[in-house]
Amino acid sequence: MWSNILTTLFSMRFLLTIIRMATPILFAALGAFTAASTGIGNIAIESIMTFSALGGVLGSYLLNNAWLGLLIGLLIGILTALLITFFSMKLGADAFLIMIALNTFADSVAIFLLYQITGDKGTTASLPTPILYTWDIPLIKDIPILGEILSGHYVLTYICWLLIIVMFVVIYKTPLGMRMRACGLNPDAARTAGINVERLQVLSLVLSGVFAAFGGCYLSLNYLKIFSKGMVSGQGWMGVAANGIANGNYLSLVLSAVIFAVFRAVSIIFSSNSAFPTDLVSAIPYFSVFVILTAVSIINYYRVKSGKVEEH
Amino acid sequence: MNEIILKLDNVTKVYPNGTVANRDINMEFEKGEIHSVVGENGAGKSTLMKMIFGIERPSSGTITYKGEEVHFNSSMDAIHAGIGMVHQHFMLIPSYSIVDNIILGDEPTKSIFIDAKEATKRCQELSDKYNFELDVTAKVSTLSVAKRQKVEILKTLYRNAELIILDEPTSVLTPQETEKLFDQLRFFKQQGHTIIFISHKLEEVKQISDRISVIRNGVSKGTYLNADLSMEQLTNLIIGRDLENDMDEYKTHEDFHGERALEVRDLYMERNGKPVLNNVSFEVKRGEILGVAGVEGNGQQELVKCITGLEATKYEGLIKVCDQEVNHLNIRGRRDIGMAYIPEDRMVDGVAGELPISDNLISTYYTREDINGKLFMDNKAIARMSDQLIKTFAVKTKNADASVNSLSGGNVQKVVVAREYNTNSRFMIAEQPTHGIDIGSAEFVHHKLIEMRNAGAGILLVSADLNEVMDLSDRIIVMFNGRIAGYFPDANKVNESELGMYMLGAKHQSEEEIGGALND
Repeated sequence: MWSNILTTLFSMRFLLTIIRMATPILFAALGAFTAASTGIGNIAIESIMTFSALGGVLGSYLLNNAWLGLLIGLLIGILTALLITFFSMKLGADAFLIMIALNTFADSVAIFLLYQITGDKGTTASLPTPILYTWDIPLIKDIPILGEILSGHYVLTYICWLLIIVMFVVIYKTPLGMRMRACGLNPDAARTAGINVERLQVLSLVLSGVFAAFGGCYLSLNYLKIFSKGMVSGQGWMGVAANGIANGNYLSLVLSAVIFAVFRAVSIIFSSNSAFPTDLVSAIPYFSVFVILTAVSIINYYRVKSGKVEEH
Repeated sequence: MNEIILKLDNVTKVYPNGTVANRDINMEFEKGEIHSVVGENGAGKSTLMKMIFGIERPSSGTITYKGEEVHFNSSMDAIHAGIGMVHQHFMLIPSYSIVDNIILGDEPTKSIFIDAKEATKRCQELSDKYNFELDVTAKVSTLSVAKRQKVEILKTLYRNAELIILDEPTSVLTPQETEKLFDQLRFFKQQGHTIIFISHKLEEVKQISDRISVIRNGVSKGTYLNADLSMEQLTNLIIGRDLENDMDEYKTHEDFHGERALEVRDLYMERNGKPVLNNVSFEVKRGEILGVAGVEGNGQQELVKCITGLEATKYEGLIKVCDQEVNHLNIRGRRDIGMAYIPEDRMVDGVAGELPISDNLISTYYTREDINGKLFMDNKAIARMSDQLIKTFAVKTKNADASVNSLSGGNVQKVVVAREYNTNSRFMIAEQPTHGIDIGSAEFVHHKLIEMRNAGAGILLVSADLNEVMDLSDRIIVMFNGRIAGYFPDANKVNESELGMYMLGAKHQSEEEIGGALND
């Protein structure tokens, strides 16, 4: 049995599973990071993913075009983000409470709408939905091994990695990014430099909503090809956790998200092996988040204490 | 006469809550001069500067910059016009490099990217031009305070500021660093920059200024050539004493056998590597009021924090309350042996605004037996007591259940004083006890303090209001730069201009004279 598992862990199939698992977590992490760069803690990533996952499928069904469906999903992400800023910045409500509220009712609202529209409480399987396909990269796909690794992924996976590179450049190499980070690090300093802090915060939250929406649409339009109840299942939170671990470091953001994806992949591989209790196995990714977060905080605590790193 | 670069005409600022920060200020700033604006804390210097820099807008009056009337909507407008400001609290991002801090908001670009090379080149050239001796690629978090200040100044120069406002720039510097800053300011002047220098340290003002404007209680007391003004005249202009008000007739003189309410020996405390309290020794006897005079920020707050135990601050030295050493005790412990405290910021440390008056009247001694049953609070006793206190202290409210937030400032302060009065403590710290309240309430609070003193409490009165210190105190110490700069065994035999000289660092007594604060 163990040899079986070991072979799997070093197989191409496992690597591809990781890449598939990493996409939504990376989107979520990118969303959390972008908002955090201007000092906004976006904990509504999970709910935005849920809304957009459903919205994407319904849009695609109604407009009979997967790309238009994606567009609808993204619009829903933007609207949710704007809703949060409207309540918190215009009406003065506590942003965290609004986001908690969104998270608590996201699943039930999704199911309610699902039932109203399809008559099914579980999935959109009954709707004939155009979906986004995988992409074979010409030429590269024919190279042995490398072709298998690089080619044939879901379209949104490519978009995800592209966005990771684009956002790196934007945040670290452009005036916009420098100003955004300044808002997060010292809003007063940013303000006296003539920067409109609130406007950049709204912008970053909207971008954050877009990335979360991409994550949701990946799940429903690309990976699972349907919307089903509870499909986001904590992947948004994993992105938030990855951002917490990264603490402003872009590389460790990406790495943390990928590590979480590894544990998800492990959990999937073990669950196909009947020797382990399924419930225990499906808890692996969540447990890993818990363990890694705890370990990172302990390490940080001692690093700050010993004076190796200064606090911001 | 030189060209006038900035002109204020009848500038008045009234805040929405009715506070008048500035009234009919008229001032002229000449191009290429170093012009100091002096006044006590709260005199209205900062508000005036905020209006010039576009952070606040005047309620009436006009600001004319380079011959044109200006209406700045934000500091961005002021920056574009060529005005720069170095804030007292630095506006820097520690994890950014010096370059990034300087260019933030006005970055040189190459297509869509920040042109890092060009930025570094420009900043380094600027730093070299003004002899700042900075490596502009260094991270700000690695810099000393003096260098951070240089970065702040560079920020204004990078934006081509012709008029630079420096708000209390020397408060964070050592004397040597101050000297260097002054050299730089003189250099700026040569280069044609105009400097507005805000300070309450008179010696420095005399040293650096061409002209000096004085603000007192929000009103301009005129602009003078530095050369025409003696230190004494300047002190009188700043401090000025408006009211003669003798509290002595209320004082009785019973004998408490020289019992000590408070003893402080060799108190020493550091903050950010700089001593904020140094060699502070004094005592407060029962039945006396010891006044602590001084411009805010010279160690008084830290002194109060050490004595009350309000902040877990590390200090060296000995503090005894009612002859018991309290160094190891927390606030509760210190209060239990007989300390009462009227804090400076009543809304933050004095009351819980949302709670009813009655709760606030007992919050520092709610465990006392007369109001605390075995399991539940004795609400009847509390109600009786609060009604009594509200009556005695003439707190204007319908009943004791109203929230403290519904009261005016003066009445909130009465609630605080009533509570502390009711602890019957032998030692009381009154920190700015009448700050920002109306004259009637202030007088009432003063009388109550004297009543406590007559009844045998020792009171440490810390106040930036010189009138208050002189009216109430039996003895006075003056703090400057974390030290006791002067000790006056008889408050009646000292005048305000003399106190002012010590407050502003122009005079300093010898060790023996100051020693009297502990040993008289």
